[in-house]
Amino acid sequence: MRIDKTQRGWAIASLAMMMVFTGVYAVYAANVPDRPRGGSAIGLTFGVIGFGFMLFAALLGARKRVPTWRIGRAQAWMRGHLWLGLLSLPVILFHGGFHFGGTLTSVLMWLLIVTVLSGLFGAALQHYLPRVMTIDVKLETIYDEIGNVRVLLREEADRGVEALCGSLGLGKSAKEEMQRAGGFTAARAMSVSKGGASVAVATETVVLTDEASAPLRTFYLGEMRPFLEQPRRGSRLGNADKAHNAFAGLRTLMPEPAHGLVQDLEDICDEARQLVRQEQLHRWLHGWLLVHIPISMAVIVLGAVHAVVALRY
Amino acid sequence: MARTRTTKKLAQRIDLNYFKRTTALKRAKFFLSVGVPALALVWIGWHGLAKDPRVYSSGRMSEAHAVLEAECAACHVQTAGAFSAAASETACLSCHDGPMHHASSKSSPACATCHQEHRGRVNMIAARNQSCSECHGDLRASGGAGRFEKHIYSLQEGHPEFAAVRAGVSDPGAIKMNHAIHLKMIRRGPNGPNVQLECGNCHRPAGVDADVTYGDAKYRAAAVSYKESDELLEEDTQTLRPPNASSGRELMTPVKFANACAGCHLLTFDERFDEGVPHDKPEVVHAFLVKKFSEYIAAHPGELQEAREPERDLTGKPLQPVARVYRRDEWVSARIRDAEELLWRKTCKQCHAMASAAGQNNLPVVAPARTTIKWMPHAKFDHDGHRGFSCVSCHEKALNSTQASDVLLPGIASCKGCHAPGPDHAESRCFECHTYHDWAKRKEVRPTFTLPALRTGGQ
Repeated sequence: MRIDKTQRGWAIASLAMMMVFTGVYAVYAANVPDRPRGGSAIGLTFGVIGFGFMLFAALLGARKRVPTWRIGRAQAWMRGHLWLGLLSLPVILFHGGFHFGGTLTSVLMWLLIVTVLSGLFGAALQHYLPRVMTIDVKLETIYDEIGNVRVLLREEADRGVEALCGSLGLGKSAKEEMQRAGGFTAARAMSVSKGGASVAVATETVVLTDEASAPLRTFYLGEMRPFLEQPRRGSRLGNADKAHNAFAGLRTLMPEPAHGLVQDLEDICDEARQLVRQEQLHRWLHGWLLVHIPISMAVIVLGAVHAVVALRY
Repeated sequence: MARTRTTKKLAQRIDLNYFKRTTALKRAKFFLSVGVPALALVWIGWHGLAKDPRVYSSGRMSEAHAVLEAECAACHVQTAGAFSAAASETACLSCHDGPMHHASSKSSPACATCHQEHRGRVNMIAARNQSCSECHGDLRASGGAGRFEKHIYSLQEGHPEFAAVRAGVSDPGAIKMNHAIHLKMIRRGPNGPNVQLECGNCHRPAGVDADVTYGDAKYRAAAVSYKESDELLEEDTQTLRPPNASSGRELMTPVKFANACAGCHLLTFDERFDEGVPHDKPEVVHAFLVKKFSEYIAAHPGELQEAREPERDLTGKPLQPVARVYRRDEWVSARIRDAEELLWRKTCKQCHAMASAAGQNNLPVVAPARTTIKWMPHAKFDHDGHRGFSCVSCHEKALNSTQASDVLLPGIASCKGCHAPGPDHAESRCFECHTYHDWAKRKEVRPTFTLPALRTGGQ
């Protein structure tokens, strides 16, 4: 969710609430005989409001799990989660008079701080990263399917290379692979290259001689296929410029008819690289939730325990 | 023909049931979302099973109650059938008495209004100024007595100048004392060397051994007929008394002649005697003189014949000396008259206010000293706590004071120089100098707890 003009209403409402809460707290703190306490009427009110905000923020998870709920739009829930969740921290600080108290309350306070800070971090990421994703990952796919798409890309590349270089000895025939859906590469006809390379002319495909296809075969099996199977940071194909240079070099070694395939392989490599980038961005985009959600759940649970214990004692 | 991405082909490579499959991220999110709160509950539950309720405490106990850190039930008494187990006033009063403030106070706040527990290892007595200013901020509205300042919020805001140093107020003491002379080089007695006195030579806290550099052992050992307490100005009984017994070092003890004056101010009365008269009432001094001169003349009867000084006739020719023979009682009376003339008119009068020939046997009456011990009856001050500072850094007026009526107490500005809010200053809250409870009305508390039962969970 982007922090843009659409958030103005919530931002103004939250600011107004913050000012009211701050004003009330300032008057209360200035007039209370001792320092502000969570157990006083005003302190308790702050506590109830703050915990209410936290509960509302936590209900976003439930709202997401049951998208058919017709209780407000998902976007409104998200904005409420963002702003009221943020507001819960100062309200709870007002509740405790800016003191963390005993063990349970200190743990609660630190967990709340971590929750709100991780939420702010996540909000910043969700504001910034989708733009980065749009620029860097033009061939974005569904994150959960990245592994599957990567396999399909490899198979597509296998087929293309086997079509030109003959069997790569990978166990499955190119034809079998062709029968599977998913490839973007159309079968192409190739003319006989100069230099007397024996090309097996089929109705649609041309196979290069071993000698002519050797550079491509070596490059594909030694570098590109491992990259497609398991992209590694150290590989030069993981870098757009280096990959471009690698394929440019390959083109100089290959006969003209193979240049179309080399271009296809470069496209496949580019897509695979983008998937790697998508994975990275996705991890940033959603990884903070591994902190935010469990800690916020712990805050709700311990907050409930604290409420019962505090009201009792 | 290059690779072409068509929607159909894109759709073909997506497993339509992909959302039903779980991923590592989803799994981690689920397990952490269940595991972390569960861990929190286990943590709380473990403390509950271990019967260690400290985890629920809203803060550590104060210094005084630190021993009860794990004994919640000592204050949080559970009533059968009730949900609440909040600490009540009864819990406080089972160990502490909290005498009321003034009889005229409109309300008596609950203990916890001023003394809040679970604030860490703090001094619970240290109440905030707001606790006091709730009434003293507008004393008229609070029904306070008319003689007090009406709007006091703190030492910095609204606190009046000390009553003792306001304009027109003088020291009611009757001892003539010129501090300026005594704080310069001064001769020690009629024949002594020049000495430089220090404040501590005369002024010492009650609990400290007196400095007798300028005292006299004989006078220190001698009994006196007057009560020293009679010489002190009566204290205001309407003030609030501090809770603890005095350490004896807070206030200065009255300056005693035997300790601080006798070394220089000799009470000699006749050249025949080296010793001085007792530092006592005129009646005692008179009896002493009678005894001394009677004994003397008994031992020296030859002095009854007194040769009158030769005189001259009108022409200036010297006449023969005339000898006069006294009876013993005449001689004693004559010597006493001479000695008392010296004492009443000079020696005693140098320090004391003397009402001449008003007492028994036509003896003068010495005005009571009326020494003020506690200059600030509504506040407590501890000289011992300020022992690191030179006397004149606060009592600087002493250096130039020539009149006994000068009040040498420092003004409130001297206090405010150090006692102010903030980390670089000494405590400045009301409780530092004032007490709320009138501990003169203290009642003894009947013990409730037993040891070691309290420390082991029982009471």
